[in-house]
Amino acid sequence: MLRRFRLEEPESVQEAADLLNRYGDSAKVYAGGTELLLAMKEGLVHYERLINVKQLKGLNEIRLDSGTVSIGALCTHHQLESAPLLKERLPALVELEKNVANVRVRQAGTIGGNLCFAEPHADPGTLLLALGATLVAQRSSSRREIAAADFFIDAYETSLAADEVLSEIRIPAPAAKSGIAYLKFGYLERPSVGVAIALTLNGGISDAKIAVGCAGPAPKRVAEAEAMLIGKSIEEGTRNLASAGQVAGRAAQAISDLHGAQDYKEHIVGVLLKRAFQRAVGPS
Amino acid sequence: MEFQKEVEIAVPLEKVWNFIWDVDRFIACVPGCREAKTLEAGKRYSATMVEKVGPFKVEFPTIIEVLERDELRRIKAVASGADNKIGSRMKIELDVNLREQGDKTVLGFIAGVDILGKLAALGHGIIKRKADQVLDEFAQAVKQRLEGDSQDA
Repeated sequence: MLRRFRLEEPESVQEAADLLNRYGDSAKVYAGGTELLLAMKEGLVHYERLINVKQLKGLNEIRLDSGTVSIGALCTHHQLESAPLLKERLPALVELEKNVANVRVRQAGTIGGNLCFAEPHADPGTLLLALGATLVAQRSSSRREIAAADFFIDAYETSLAADEVLSEIRIPAPAAKSGIAYLKFGYLERPSVGVAIALTLNGGISDAKIAVGCAGPAPKRVAEAEAMLIGKSIEEGTRNLASAGQVAGRAAQAISDLHGAQDYKEHIVGVLLKRAFQRAVGPS
Repeated sequence: MEFQKEVEIAVPLEKVWNFIWDVDRFIACVPGCREAKTLEAGKRYSATMVEKVGPFKVEFPTIIEVLERDELRRIKAVASGADNKIGSRMKIELDVNLREQGDKTVLGFIAGVDILGKLAALGHGIIKRKADQVLDEFAQAVKQRLEGDSQDA
């Protein structure tokens, strides 16, 4: 049962950050509530105050801003799966969002809430890492940008300070000749493994970003696997996929649990990386 | 969940043994452990274990009972506690052993950790990882404390 709490209704991000600063650990930002309220109903966490940010203006917009796709932290998954700008510029993100959880979660859950809760089996963080996204964190009088790779610290832990509010996700618009894919696999409600790849293709592979998630405590970029593809032709890259998959599997820090054993998850990382690569380079 | 750890400490065995029985200092090496009290010297102790995974916090008022004591070699103890706020219980069976290695001491322990109740919703993998981290930090803290003391002397 949900215990009593006080609902704060700030009118700006700054005011929300002030409230966090004032009430510390006894308060939490509340947006879609698809993770937080479940944990509160279960009695796993309790906050005296929830700071409702749902009504804040300007945080649910999706726009192109000087070559960067800007996504407001309050955009719901449903907004992202149906946004024309994302369909045009970031179809891989649209595809991911279409498959987040279930329709109820997609209607209410926000991208910002998903990232801040840092549930290990969440999808978006992994793709954002491969896309080289930055996350904008606001305090009452300052703002900073955090690279997605530095945002996820551990299971349920991010580098967001206690009095910071995530306001925006900024993604460099992919180059014209690029290939991006996110694939996941699982047999329970949440995925066991997720793999994202973003390639810049200029004849060969001029840049590659690979991220793995869901298998371990937090999504991770895998620079060692990326190095096996960068500067290679597509044929050479294809030949290196088995090794890159093994490296990425180990880097995932897979945990044995109900979603699968460690070695099983490591193997699936390799399988998904191969398929994601094939999807990213496209039919040729 | 069973964990086995070993840490080599550059101080003589007797000093390590004495440190283990200096409960206030020893307990201070357990991450998140506080308010250690001796209920019955050498047999029963109490403490509060506080741990955190992201927003999930637990606070276990814990009773530690020494089950076996083999002078300078081995201690077997069990720690158990319950967090009634979130409806979870924990039990740690700890088997600590010491052996001499030249002028150093190898402190080894086998810990059987059981977490029951709602906290289990976090998933076995996450809890196992956290317990492993806590035990690693504990072993390193004991090593640092003892080797630091030795340097101070």
